[in-house]
Amino acid sequence: MAAPAGRRRLLWRGRCWFSQTESAAPLQPPDSLYPPIVASATAKSKAAKRRRLELFHQRVHGAASIEEKLRLYGQLQRPKYMVYPQTFALNADRWYQSFTKTVFVPGLPPRAASVAAKAPGVEAPEAARTPGGAAGVTPEAAKAPEAGTAAPGAAKTPGLAAGAVPYLDMGELRSLACDALLQESFYQHKKRPFLYREQDHTPGPFLTQLVSTLAACLCGRNPLLAASSLDLKPEVNYYWHHGEEVVVHGHRKGRVDPVRFQIDDKPHLQLRVPKQLPEIVPLESDLGDVPVISDKPSKLPLFKKQYENKVFIGSKVADPCCYGHTQFHLIPDKLKRERFVRANLEDQIEVLYRANGIASLFAWTAAQAMYQGFWNEADVTRPFVSQAVVTDGKYFAFFCYQLNTLALTVETIQNNPRKNICWGTKSKPLYDVVEDGSVKGFNDEVLLQLVRFLLNRPKEL
Amino acid sequence: LFQGVRQAQWLTKTKLVEGLPPSVLGIVDNPAHQLEDHEEGVKRAISHARFWETTEVAPRREHYCPVLFEDLIHLCRLMSVKYPSLTKRMLARNYKISATWERESILLQVRGLNGILMNSLAPIPPVASKEEILATEEHVLETFHPISPTIDLQEVNVYKELNDTGFRDGYPYSHPHTLFFLESANIRPNRFRPEQLRAKMLMFAFGNALAKAKVLYGNDPKVLEQPIVVQSVGTDGQLFQFMVFQLNTTDLVSSDGIKNLVWIDSDQNLYEKAQCVPEVKKRVVTKPAGIYGFQPDTFKKFLALYLHGTV
Repeated sequence: MAAPAGRRRLLWRGRCWFSQTESAAPLQPPDSLYPPIVASATAKSKAAKRRRLELFHQRVHGAASIEEKLRLYGQLQRPKYMVYPQTFALNADRWYQSFTKTVFVPGLPPRAASVAAKAPGVEAPEAARTPGGAAGVTPEAAKAPEAGTAAPGAAKTPGLAAGAVPYLDMGELRSLACDALLQESFYQHKKRPFLYREQDHTPGPFLTQLVSTLAACLCGRNPLLAASSLDLKPEVNYYWHHGEEVVVHGHRKGRVDPVRFQIDDKPHLQLRVPKQLPEIVPLESDLGDVPVISDKPSKLPLFKKQYENKVFIGSKVADPCCYGHTQFHLIPDKLKRERFVRANLEDQIEVLYRANGIASLFAWTAAQAMYQGFWNEADVTRPFVSQAVVTDGKYFAFFCYQLNTLALTVETIQNNPRKNICWGTKSKPLYDVVEDGSVKGFNDEVLLQLVRFLLNRPKEL
Repeated sequence: LFQGVRQAQWLTKTKLVEGLPPSVLGIVDNPAHQLEDHEEGVKRAISHARFWETTEVAPRREHYCPVLFEDLIHLCRLMSVKYPSLTKRMLARNYKISATWERESILLQVRGLNGILMNSLAPIPPVASKEEILATEEHVLETFHPISPTIDLQEVNVYKELNDTGFRDGYPYSHPHTLFFLESANIRPNRFRPEQLRAKMLMFAFGNALAKAKVLYGNDPKVLEQPIVVQSVGTDGQLFQFMVFQLNTTDLVSSDGIKNLVWIDSDQNLYEKAQCVPEVKKRVVTKPAGIYGFQPDTFKKFLALYLHGTV
């Protein structure tokens, strides 16, 4: 690529530049005695800077392995904005959408899944257990789901065995969820939670239990889960450039630099799979507009720091489970709903969930794409899809993300019509309250949505 | 514990049997209980824990030990495709146990946070037959006179003799199934040696079984009709210790009579060495990176202990 690019540049410097450049440049005559005339690589000139950039791009394109490519990509360390997915900043979701060129679509994409929940006729008692007895799970008793009523005594019917039934048994899954919740919040003897550590005390273990038991239960229906890898508190990092700014102070003052961002995320739980999830919409679809923010990122507030530029999905490149399936995020104590309500910021509660979903999923999908060799000069050829559930233990919000483009730098964004898309729901409660050994007001919809997320798989499986 | 397992045996009035009990060995050998490609899965789990889990070149033990354990449990849970009742198990982390008993006029107790407990809905059926239990009557507990068995135990003033399983009444998964101990300290002196780890496993398994027995049968010391079985697995990320403990009697004051039984399978290596960086001597790669000396039998035993009680 060096010779035609050098030629084109030479033409541009001296003559008018016509709008159509011949993309298929004619081959250099084979018997040229002179080396191609290109700009210098070491001079202090704009052409030399462009040439150095070219050389850097070629080095990354021609890197021997993905690790080498990632190392070269993040080699130069400069101050960068640290983007926190879980943030108290006002209207952070619009800012994050502009940083990542994401369109937010409320609601979840319509799925062609053939999953019909078995609802009517089987009203399981919500975990009404007779004390002192090892009562078995009883999805059969047709009683109202309030606590304390009715004899739970019926045994399991044979129709509830997992096997090849095409419908889901909501009663079984509901009882699993209730058991996990009750164990963590009621039955296990625990000390009082440490100050500001309530989320690690009950909702954290509950989420871990719930996801692991549901994944084990559903792996018969979804063979992708059988080959999956479950990580507890993994690290997910991504580094990218977007936009331009002028350096304000320091020895590099006055130079035009790309704006650098880094996300360092620690989801509570994540599932990685060896096969990619199918695309939701085609690569070039346009479902809305990306919000444009006219202020500097530091007004959000975002702060700059210089440290290692990491790109990591949760495990290294050599792992066969290199595609992401679902992440689970736990909202920390600092960002509880009560705090927002007390500060008269109720509308920002949803903003928090959305910002978390967009930022975490962008980082994860983009890191997955980099693990496959794509980067902002070599844009993705297939969309990368992942899902996330953001919760604070009681309220659940579901997000789906499709990464269509990685090209967010100033040069590559100009002719790029593609946008990344994020679908998301509002947060809904899973249950109302837990008291006296039973769960009141259990919401099946939320559980069903969680199960649908876990059952998502490529079409050929 | 100073003398390790021998001291724990005296304190809990237990007879030791080497190797795992026949019912567990039966599950190990039965090919119907294997996962497909479980060797591949286990190798992947080890590689994930030892190599790929963090951005550092070689993750340290406090990272890789829990990750390996979680991955192995994830693999075992996938067996619930075949046996749906396996979903009726709950893992309890950070739970507290307390059990007190008297042993030849010395009051002993086991308390505190131990490992990770897996509870199940149904108890494990007794492993030893009635004859074996009666045969333990003749067995004599070995003492190490002149060293007192309580030499290195912490002496505390106890104001309440507490017996607590760690869960409230009415908990549906009320039978302790397996205890997992992870020795994940980075520095070797902070970790238990294998002998002491086995002793710790024995003491806590006994504590759990005793607390459960007192809940089920009351506080009077007696011989149990239905012996209670609790299993235990201890590991430091590479070496595994397997143990099955059966509580036959709560009459622990005297040293005669029926004893409890424990089967121990010790020092099972899952792999010999995990090389993170290739070893290079004089510019020639002598040992490429990877897992060496993988032994699938250790995982089969782990899986057998997990499945024990439901198959």
